[in-house]
Amino acid sequence: MTVVDTTGVLRVAEQARAIVGPDWVISDGAQLRVYECDGLTNHREVPGAVILPGSTEEVAAVVRLCHAHAVPFVARGAGTGLSGGAMPTARGIVIGLARLRSVLALDVPNQRIRVQPGVTNSHVSEIAAPHGLYYAPDPSSQQVCTIGGNIAENSGGAHCLKYGFTVNHVLAATVVLADGSIVELGSEAPDAPGLDLLGVVVGSEGTVGIVTEALLNLLPKPEHVQTLVAMFPSIQAAGDAVSTIIAEGVVPAAAEMMDRLAIEAAKTAAPIDWDTEAALIVELDGPVSEVQSQFEEVTAICARCGADDVRVAASPDERMTIWRARKSAFAAVGQLAPAYIVQDGVIPRTRLPEVLSGIRTLADEGGVRVANVFHAGDGNLHPLVLYDNAIAGEQERAEAVSMRIVELCIEFGGSITGEHGVGVDKVCSMPKMFTGSDLTAFDRVRTAFDPHGLCNPEKLLPTPRLCGEVPGFHHTHRVESAGLGQRM
Amino acid sequence: MTDLAGILGADRVTEAADMPVITPRDQEEVAVLLQAATRDGLTLTIRGGGTKVGWRPAPERCDALLATTALTGIVDHQPGDMTLVARAGTPIVKIQATVTADATHRQRLMLDSVGGPTATLGGVLSTRAAGPRRTRYGTPRDIVIGARYVTGDGLIAKTGGTVIKNVAGYDVAKLLIGAHGSLAIITEVAVKLHPVPDVARTVALHATSPAEVAEFVERIRTAPITPSALEVRWPEGLVAVRVESTAAGAAAQLALLHTFASLEELDTPAGEALLEQQLALPFDTEGAVLGVGVRPAALAALLAAVEQAGGVFVGRAALVAGDVVFPDNDPDRVLRLGTAVRALGGNLLARRGVVIEQSHTPGIERLTTAMRNALDPAGVLV
Repeated sequence: MTVVDTTGVLRVAEQARAIVGPDWVISDGAQLRVYECDGLTNHREVPGAVILPGSTEEVAAVVRLCHAHAVPFVARGAGTGLSGGAMPTARGIVIGLARLRSVLALDVPNQRIRVQPGVTNSHVSEIAAPHGLYYAPDPSSQQVCTIGGNIAENSGGAHCLKYGFTVNHVLAATVVLADGSIVELGSEAPDAPGLDLLGVVVGSEGTVGIVTEALLNLLPKPEHVQTLVAMFPSIQAAGDAVSTIIAEGVVPAAAEMMDRLAIEAAKTAAPIDWDTEAALIVELDGPVSEVQSQFEEVTAICARCGADDVRVAASPDERMTIWRARKSAFAAVGQLAPAYIVQDGVIPRTRLPEVLSGIRTLADEGGVRVANVFHAGDGNLHPLVLYDNAIAGEQERAEAVSMRIVELCIEFGGSITGEHGVGVDKVCSMPKMFTGSDLTAFDRVRTAFDPHGLCNPEKLLPTPRLCGEVPGFHHTHRVESAGLGQRM
Repeated sequence: MTDLAGILGADRVTEAADMPVITPRDQEEVAVLLQAATRDGLTLTIRGGGTKVGWRPAPERCDALLATTALTGIVDHQPGDMTLVARAGTPIVKIQATVTADATHRQRLMLDSVGGPTATLGGVLSTRAAGPRRTRYGTPRDIVIGARYVTGDGLIAKTGGTVIKNVAGYDVAKLLIGAHGSLAIITEVAVKLHPVPDVARTVALHATSPAEVAEFVERIRTAPITPSALEVRWPEGLVAVRVESTAAGAAAQLALLHTFASLEELDTPAGEALLEQQLALPFDTEGAVLGVGVRPAALAALLAAVEQAGGVFVGRAALVAGDVVFPDNDPDRVLRLGTAVRALGGNLLARRGVVIEQSHTPGIERLTTAMRNALDPAGVLV
């Protein structure tokens, strides 16, 4: 465990002024509170200071200060994360990357772009668009979330079923390590020799270093996109349709599902008149001839699986409306209840019907409502657990239901997180998915990057302070690893 | 000297020509072996099908080979979820055969069996080997969704899972893929499967200059065509494009391709055979083989440099990555090409009869050493 004293933070903040300029060090209490949480607002911690460097070298210099004074630091992009990954550490500093928002080089012939981490996800596609290119990962928060945060979380989005996650699209990155040294991982050309360290950095939730530049792969915009929304009398029927579509060899660009409650919420954000138990959005993209032939097949499958109504987006506007309904569903749920918890679990797609009826049972038992929005193609569920924090005990009940939903995902052979990350939110669930030795191995990887535990500590892996005694999870003592003794 | 027979039993040890071979039966035995090796200061080299031994320098010292030949078999196959779990010593072709034999589900494993039919799942991962299929489906890092492994000091651990989307914990599989068995022994791997397309059609261009190849490839990269393979063999002048789609989708893409150049369409067996040849050529030679990767825009320059050095480029034209096969083991040819590839900002990888001095930055050297110490503290895996 890292021992920190506030004098270290004060020293770092003071000395950082000379590095980044006095305007870019925040130490005023009211201003610091802006940074106390990310998108997971029920976990808060006011940082000791916030430092906003303006270059890779400044980030490195600030990290070297933290290293010298043993002060923990947390990197922060737009703060839209949903697992508390950018939540400050007690008596640590936040390194904000908001000033690093330059597009460094667009390389059209090689279909790639080099950006700083503070560039927003959708800005990358906007810059590439005039050249017929785009950046594939598209988390719902893409208008505001940044590439640095996407890399930290290995963000997916609605289209990752066909196109993969952030890790499949980052070719290289400049990374400031926990000791303040700068490394370039990956390479411009394929097959960089040596260990795939970049593959670990992506998705490491800010615990192994700070990405200060990234080289991203761009794809040619598909020639044709077709989107439909099919109304099903039950979630089960919609789930069958998804499985059938995929079994027929069609790989949709996206296959998204919303249940009645989620649809009701979405109506407050998008002009839709869907009145059904389950709406299934299917999008196909690619060469026009391929899309058209597969689209006919998908439409037929939806009808065969019991869809009452299949609506094909006839214009880009209609397509945008469908996506607005889907992508605004999280926020729109806020119209249905004073508060809600966004859950993020994964199950094998074929177990969808069983898990959804399990979720319904859990919601009924807990006396809370659950709206379901999910990436049906890859089995990534986002149950939204609604509650009223003015009612005594309801938040606790909602949290308990949300936690049980994740455990249900594990029981069905899935994962505790598909794209939001572990952060602080799920550290104590990690031992439910991983054994003590799995966690020990993870911890060794982390320690290889960050031997002093300064880089976003107490996130991703459970600690006794947060989770009590974690079974089997301990640092092997030298005496043990040398085989000279053992724990009794 | 440690009594190797005493670790897992005498029946697990055989004497090969130059070295003892230890063959653990399961991951628990792998763990026992590595714990003993850590305790006794043994060094071990992992061996799967033994098809890509030249891809890394021979260790200075190795006490025994750790063979994965008994770690075989498909552990789980979920056609509905399009996932499969197999033990690391299973030959890729066996997994492919099992998956494609299921005529109901029409699926396939999109890993290339680089090195021939004895190449194993663990071996292809550990060497990060990939062939024509990577153009559309990626390399092992894009196909693997989870793994079980044993660290150098005998800790059995898991990374990822069996679902296709999962960000819980570090993606240790990425580290193990391409690590040549230097960090841990992969014992079990979960992969995602892909659907078999309705039709697969292959066309070939016979080009006469690197510029002609590059221009053709560039037109494809910027056109509404999604090739599942885009192969080149130079200076032979062969460029092959494989399109997999619905019947209508493939027909339309082929029609467009025919407007770019005069192309010959290969029938299905010929198309398959061509891809197999691309995979096999770097292994059917007595000469040196060098792995190369350059940016897409450097394709023409690479082909010219290969021709000038007297080699043959066999590889993927859109990425660009592949192998340069030399007629002999003349180090001057290899050096000349290596210099040219580095000047193009490209990467070089040892394949056969060559040793590449990789000049990592001090930061990457430090991280690599730290990772080795973290996962194989006694330096057992060499």
